[in-house]
Amino acid sequence: MKKIALTVLLTASATAAISGPVEEQIRFRQSAYSFLGWNTGKIKKQVVDNPESFNKDYVAAAANAIAAVANSGLGELYGPGTDQGIGWKQTRLKPEFFQKKDEVTAAANKFNEAANGLAKVAAAGDKVAIKEAFGKVTESCKGCHDLVRIKE
Amino acid sequence: MKVTVHIWDLPLRLFHWLLVVSIAAAYITAKLGGELIDWHGRIGIFILGLLIFRIVWGFLGSTHARFVSFFPTIPRLVAYLKGRWQGVGHNPLGALSVFALLGVLAIQVGTGLFANDDIAYEGPLFGFIDKSLSDQLTGWHNTAFNFLLGLVVLHVIAIVFYRWAKKTNLVVPMLTGKKQVPKVLAETVISTRPSGVGALRLILSLIISCSVVWGVSGGISTLYPVDRYQQTAQATPGF
Repeated sequence: MKKIALTVLLTASATAAISGPVEEQIRFRQSAYSFLGWNTGKIKKQVVDNPESFNKDYVAAAANAIAAVANSGLGELYGPGTDQGIGWKQTRLKPEFFQKKDEVTAAANKFNEAANGLAKVAAAGDKVAIKEAFGKVTESCKGCHDLVRIKE
Repeated sequence: MKVTVHIWDLPLRLFHWLLVVSIAAAYITAKLGGELIDWHGRIGIFILGLLIFRIVWGFLGSTHARFVSFFPTIPRLVAYLKGRWQGVGHNPLGALSVFALLGVLAIQVGTGLFANDDIAYEGPLFGFIDKSLSDQLTGWHNTAFNFLLGLVVLHVIAIVFYRWAKKTNLVVPMLTGKKQVPKVLAETVISTRPSGVGALRLILSLIISCSVVWGVSGGISTLYPVDRYQQTAQATPGF
């Protein structure tokens, strides 16, 4: 009996360590995207809105942060049942997410490629190239939003 | 006996067709997204300018541009539905459509100024409100578009209906400004017509709409700067 209980406990905590209960997954991914938003905002300000304020290191740091989030394996946070639940707030994941796995994977990979591409050009510091690569990133964000995110 | 009269003045016609093009462009840029979202924002501000101009022109424009000349009052609507309405500008039912379109457009533009796309776009007045309120207004911006689309579809259906069922071409007058009307009607039009497009009134209308556009597109933010995180290079701390 003790052994079973221990197994259950260990399995449960192991699962929690991998992906966590529904609410935790939602909270982690909401945090990830809001952190992304902070960083895209910084790049937008210095590359698109006020190019004269461009600071290579500042933008490269933001681009690296975006790439790091993209490469962190966000897919793990989309476990079964996570289309319902409250993280920091109610999730806006469409239930269709689970039927559109292939499309979602394609869209997510596009984001990963774009994010890594941005980090690469940001390190080089060419403003024009950064602007173009940044455009690809924002486009890839919209790809997933249009596909599986409930509109406000 | 029919005669040709001028009903739509040039500024009004320009407003109309620029609005058509702008709405189409705003729709396309919103759908495509990416870098084009910035153009969506610029077009939105341009539409704001058009809207303000139209509202001012509704008081200062020539006869048939003026709101009082076609305001859809109940007696006018009843008369029109009973087939007793006589006039040459917007008919009372069309006037309802005009006010509905302007109203929805005002909501669309007004919410857009405060909207964000959760990617990297923020409307020009986003900084003045909370993110959560901006999200809510963004939702309204999305919803109001469906109403706008519905009104545009209704508008086009009405034009087709007038063309085939009532044998009235509404498109040509909006291009040329001229319309063929019975002589009796034309005389009443001419007799009640003010001086047409006054240069001074046109300039005043343009100044007002340009001032509003300048205000939202940078003027207000310059006078009352909002920079939440001091996102400027020199303010970067050492950690």
